[in-house]
Amino acid sequence: MNTPEVILVVVAALVVVRVWRRKQGRATGTLTRSEPRRSLLEAAFGDVGLVARREVRERIRGRIFQIGTVIILLVVAAAIVIPVLHKTKAHHPRVGIVGALSTPVRATLDATAASIATTATLVTEPNQTRADADLRAGHLDLVVIDGRQLQVNKAIADSDTSTTAQFVRAVSRALGAEQAYQEAGLSTTQAGIVARAKPLPVTSLHPASAKGTVRTTSLISSILIFVMLSQYNTWTLTGVVEEKASRVVEVLLAAVRPIHLLAGKVLGIGLVAFTQAAIIVTFALGLAKVAGSDLLHGTAPLTLVAALVWLVLGYAFYCWVFAAAGSTAERQEQVQTLAFPLTLPLILGYIVSITAATSGNASTFFKVLAYLPPTAPFAMTVLVDLGKATWWQFGASAAISILATIAVARFASTIYRRAILRTGHRVRLREVLSLKTALRSRRSETSG
Amino acid sequence: MSGVGSPPGEQVERQGAATTPRGLLELSGLTRRYGSIAALDDLSFAVPAGQVVGFLGPNGAGKTTTMRAIFGLTDLDAGQVRWNGVAVAQAERRRFGYMPEERGLYPGMLVGEQVEYLARLHGLSAVAAATATKLWLERLGVADRIASKVDVLSHGNQQRVQLAAALVHEPELIVLDEPLSGLDPTGIDDIGAVLVEQARAGCCVLFSSHQLDLVEDLCESVTIIDHGRLVVTGRVDELATSGPRRLVVRVEGDRDATWARDLAGVTVSEVGGSAVRLILEESVDSDTVLRAAMLAGRVTQFSFERRRLSEVFREALA
Repeated sequence: MNTPEVILVVVAALVVVRVWRRKQGRATGTLTRSEPRRSLLEAAFGDVGLVARREVRERIRGRIFQIGTVIILLVVAAAIVIPVLHKTKAHHPRVGIVGALSTPVRATLDATAASIATTATLVTEPNQTRADADLRAGHLDLVVIDGRQLQVNKAIADSDTSTTAQFVRAVSRALGAEQAYQEAGLSTTQAGIVARAKPLPVTSLHPASAKGTVRTTSLISSILIFVMLSQYNTWTLTGVVEEKASRVVEVLLAAVRPIHLLAGKVLGIGLVAFTQAAIIVTFALGLAKVAGSDLLHGTAPLTLVAALVWLVLGYAFYCWVFAAAGSTAERQEQVQTLAFPLTLPLILGYIVSITAATSGNASTFFKVLAYLPPTAPFAMTVLVDLGKATWWQFGASAAISILATIAVARFASTIYRRAILRTGHRVRLREVLSLKTALRSRRSETSG
Repeated sequence: MSGVGSPPGEQVERQGAATTPRGLLELSGLTRRYGSIAALDDLSFAVPAGQVVGFLGPNGAGKTTTMRAIFGLTDLDAGQVRWNGVAVAQAERRRFGYMPEERGLYPGMLVGEQVEYLARLHGLSAVAAATATKLWLERLGVADRIASKVDVLSHGNQQRVQLAAALVHEPELIVLDEPLSGLDPTGIDDIGAVLVEQARAGCCVLFSSHQLDLVEDLCESVTIIDHGRLVVTGRVDELATSGPRRLVVRVEGDRDATWARDLAGVTVSEVGGSAVRLILEESVDSDTVLRAAMLAGRVTQFSFERRRLSEVFREALA
């Protein structure tokens, strides 16, 4: 028996055993507290896994998740495909030739097209009338008449930056120069030397301030991180408030410990967030490969992976804070009031990262923000894209974030435990922290 | 809505014998203060298994705080909750069922999944939780709403689902805070029947209510507290027959019971129509009262009367 057959036999045996055990369970319907089969989450995390599983199921089933995922995927698809389409269409201006076209002029047209990273198609026209007709019909972008006159269908504005406009300007300059060389009596060789003239390099005593290019991947990553951290942390907050306001938390805490309930909630919502982000990033990379987008070039793939890592670290840092804030609420109407101050660091990180991504520069202030846990998810991702973060800097920032998350989780879970069962009014932070009774654990009081 | 059918216990194998009392809940010296206000003040009582025990008291007496303390939902300044002599911890609480006063269900979650989820949290396996959920929803007449969201159910059906959630894991102790409030007579009958049935099966059942007539019908024992302190506890029959004897005497033509007012050791508690309710001190011979009544006119009724629970309650808090 070869390997595939062995695998088939084992799988078949497992299926038979599984069906038999299920039938046995249904037949007896016996109440048992043992757990013969558990989902991965339950098996790994016990009560925490049960709570997390409910969160995952309820969130994924919700319309907000389903519609939100589709919208984000559409936006990402548009951000990848539209530039590719635009770039493809901008190439290959068509040039109509009326009259004779000398070899130097033909060479000049080709060289000019190459200088703006495109290629020109030359079309020989029988006469100017036909050339004008093709211009009007849009079959041509430019007509060169006897190598000395240029004609376009519509005047080109100075502000026009399209490929065609750049090409026409370049041809105009090049043919003008070509004409000047001939009038000056330069031989073809001499004219070629002049045409290939390069500017002299200029040295400076101080380096110029760098002006980078817009980092599209950083922009996409920052937007993704901001949207997802805002959405999923708000879910955590509203989820805690819902449980408290509906009093279901009393029923839950009669069976599980507060820390397990809290951990299950943030784990479940975090899994949904990470799954959604992974789907989006995988989709973006796949689509970019198929469409031939620049998204796969340079530091872009690494940046997207860094964004995923920082999405997890950012969520892990913020979720505890949002959950603790939710435990102090009394009603659903208080969600906005509680969420706003907690969202401010997110907004700060988002704005500075967008600024850095747009300018292509990272200031010292920005680099500092990359090591502060509230803003690191944004700033460090952009630094990776700019190529200004080494692996150990990335690791140091992640380590700081993890340590801060542990401290925040301990503090937040204490607040949660003390506030979640206090009803009747919104619980003030000072009130929770000054509770003497809170230090007495329920275990020692009611459990001996 | 289907009617109340056969108990799940007939189909679902219980933990332990069906009629063997499964435990004793003891509350010992529970004390909880909010500033200068004592919600619980050295409160101690026990809840035996196999009985439905009514937990009574005026508003603010500390009933809900006591029930929350059983589940560790409120911090205590002193005292201890014990189950079968062992201090209650998380493992014991998993075998308890709780129905809070303000209903605790996820509004947007499906009924079946919600009950099943709570069963899982109480330690049932996935198969057992699914089986028990179906059985209890059927038993409580809401099986047809298993795929509905909780927030679209009527108040009565939400109560039934909440009770199913409290019972689905076959708890040894069931604590219910105002389980009958807002229910129609059918709902009261159904839920009351389930509570009695659970007690008969050996469970420890403690529930609070302000509907004293219902409590009297359902409960073998009651515990009355006020200002966080125990006032009275005991079996309903004993409380109803304890204290001074109570007589109802009806004399034809008598409207104001003047014949009884001068009798030594006799107090007129109520005069209504031609009947008068009298409270007799220990030393009073009922024959003396009968003779006095016969002198006043033709006696058409002369009977001893049990104290209603409402009277026990009022007298205890007086």
